[in-house]
Amino acid sequence: MMSSSRRLLMLAAVQVLALLLAACGGDSGPTAGGGGDEGEGGGGSGQLTVWAMGAEGENLPTLAEQYEEENGVTIRVVPVPWETAHDKLLTSIAGGETPDISQMGTTWMGEFAETGALAEVPEGIVDQDAFYEGAWSTALFEETAYGVPWYVETRLMYYRTDIAEKAGWDEPPATWEDLQQFAADLKDKGGAKYGINLSPNNWQELMPFVWETGAEVWDGEAFDFTSDGVKEAMDYYDSFFEDGVAAEFVPNFDVTQGFVSGTHPLFFSGPWHVALIEDLGGDDIQGTWDVALMPENENRDSFIGGSDLVVFNDSEQQDAAWDFVAWLADAETQREWYEATGGLPAVKDAWTGGELADDERLALFGEQLEMTRAPPVIPEWEQIAEVINTELEKVTIGNASVDDAAATIQQEAESMVKG
Amino acid sequence: MAATAPTGTGRSWLRRQGVRENLAGWLFASPWVILFLVFMAGPILAAFALSFTDFGLADLRDPLNTEVVGVDNYTALFSDSEFRRASWNTVVFTVVAVPLVLVLALGLAVLIDRGIKRYKTFFRVGYYLPEVTAIVAIAILWRFMFHPDLGLLNTMLGWVGIDGPNWLGNPSTAMPAVITVAVWRHLGANIVILLAGLQAIDPVMYEAARVDGAGGWQLFRNITLPLVRPTLLFATVITSIGYLQVFEEPFLMTEGGPLNTTQTVAMMVYEQGFAFFNLGYASAIAYLLFLVIAGLATVQFRMLRPET
Repeated sequence: MMSSSRRLLMLAAVQVLALLLAACGGDSGPTAGGGGDEGEGGGGSGQLTVWAMGAEGENLPTLAEQYEEENGVTIRVVPVPWETAHDKLLTSIAGGETPDISQMGTTWMGEFAETGALAEVPEGIVDQDAFYEGAWSTALFEETAYGVPWYVETRLMYYRTDIAEKAGWDEPPATWEDLQQFAADLKDKGGAKYGINLSPNNWQELMPFVWETGAEVWDGEAFDFTSDGVKEAMDYYDSFFEDGVAAEFVPNFDVTQGFVSGTHPLFFSGPWHVALIEDLGGDDIQGTWDVALMPENENRDSFIGGSDLVVFNDSEQQDAAWDFVAWLADAETQREWYEATGGLPAVKDAWTGGELADDERLALFGEQLEMTRAPPVIPEWEQIAEVINTELEKVTIGNASVDDAAATIQQEAESMVKG
Repeated sequence: MAATAPTGTGRSWLRRQGVRENLAGWLFASPWVILFLVFMAGPILAAFALSFTDFGLADLRDPLNTEVVGVDNYTALFSDSEFRRASWNTVVFTVVAVPLVLVLALGLAVLIDRGIKRYKTFFRVGYYLPEVTAIVAIAILWRFMFHPDLGLLNTMLGWVGIDGPNWLGNPSTAMPAVITVAVWRHLGANIVILLAGLQAIDPVMYEAARVDGAGGWQLFRNITLPLVRPTLLFATVITSIGYLQVFEEPFLMTEGGPLNTTQTVAMMVYEQGFAFFNLGYASAIAYLLFLVIAGLATVQFRMLRPET
């Protein structure tokens, strides 16, 4: 009997031990994205871990092969889905398990720079003037560069040329006033169900209009959401909703379907919609649509987004990492990268050769890129953006006044930065 | 095991044996205990501590650097208009959806139990199906059905000459639409629970009552309802707890909009915690929600306790 109870104890002990071992085993699993695993030092002979999102994660390994051959460095690309990338990066910082290099959405730069995990861009790695000004500004946090622009995107006007012609427009609208008339005509004369598709609650669509009035919402130290320019932009934006010209709001709506079927003949979006429209519309859509520059008020500034490349402070091979980043930001690499993924080059020289120079639609994106601005690079931006969305929605769908909305945004933004 | 005649002698030996068995018991339970401590109790306590700090992005690399702010997070909540709005929405959602789903489920359970003679399994499976379907698929399908121009719902309304509303895009119809989906989705589980309760009722009681001349409604009112009461209590508590934490339906269908009319408390926890990384503030919201749920469950147990 005694032996049976002892056996029982032993059994339990073994069980616990097995469990603990299993738990420990998990630690050294493939989840560890830790760069510089075996401490190769910065001699350029080690392995670099790079986190890349979406299509970039799929395509980067092929592109990196060239670099690997030339430099004898192994590039380990870890693909991360966009949806979880933000959380995963934050977790990796909290756990001290960051990669050497990561792709980073431009609107996240402020947040991540704030954590202190990003390394400053060393002098002489890249030439700042080679990049579009708007692109370079996405990587600046408190006037220090924490990243290098990789690829960019900007927003243009997409419109149906056939419906526009029916409504009596041979040219796209060039000014704010024209745009209002244009949208109204598309609906009344062109026979489209709606005149324009604007999101009632998306700051990314509102901001170009704000910038086009010449206003800026952040001067590096303080917010200014109550300026005449911001109010003018919100008023203008709301006018499409007031006149019933703007499309009805449907959550999670993809405008591509409406654009192809002709119910939503006008909207603003980035370069990815070119492929979406062509895929969905097939041959029928050919020759019935085009893109145009943003309409002019004081200027024609649009939104600039995309991705930057960052190096982490915890990386033990920062020199090697920056060398790879500089290679990715080289005009020649950028052109190849465009041909592989369609990501627009952040480097101006890359636009002068190959497919990029030939395609007229793309040339327009290039032209618009000269006139772009980026949202403020501050850690609280995502939160402030959420407030803008909410308040904008109160104006466009609800009955709130522009003055109240502007005042609320200003107040909340100030409290977030102070608090 | 100790009861089977120990060969040794004396009480001390017995006691030692007892301790030993106790220890063995704990060791056997240890996988669960360890998992519970590490993955449940730990985070629960950590969140409680966090709710009194201003833990945010900048503290990620150096968690000990965070500042203790006392009850600031909790006081800030009461002046946060978004939180007030979210709380109100959550209350409205729960108060409407819980009775709705229970009444419907009880009605259908009675029908399946006593009304339908054939294809019982078919109906049981049919009603339970939404419960086991991935919520993302459900949400996308309902989004299509609610679409103002192309949706099934408005197309059908169109047949009878009604111009249907923009269900998810209109502030006054968004919440009813979300409630509809949530009720439909959780009907199955409640039917199964209530069906189990109904089937435990002795058919002899119905026979006896019928001999005494009781009609259908009287049978339901005086036999079914009192006897299914404990099951109903269980279903109410489980459903209320679930609905107070409602997240998936509004998150996937409306993202809390339009005009925050479907924003819920659980969504705010997610937004503050994982979108903005204000973990201190998010923990405070979560704890407040926890207190409300615990309070409500207690009250419900009191109210619906079997009358003795």
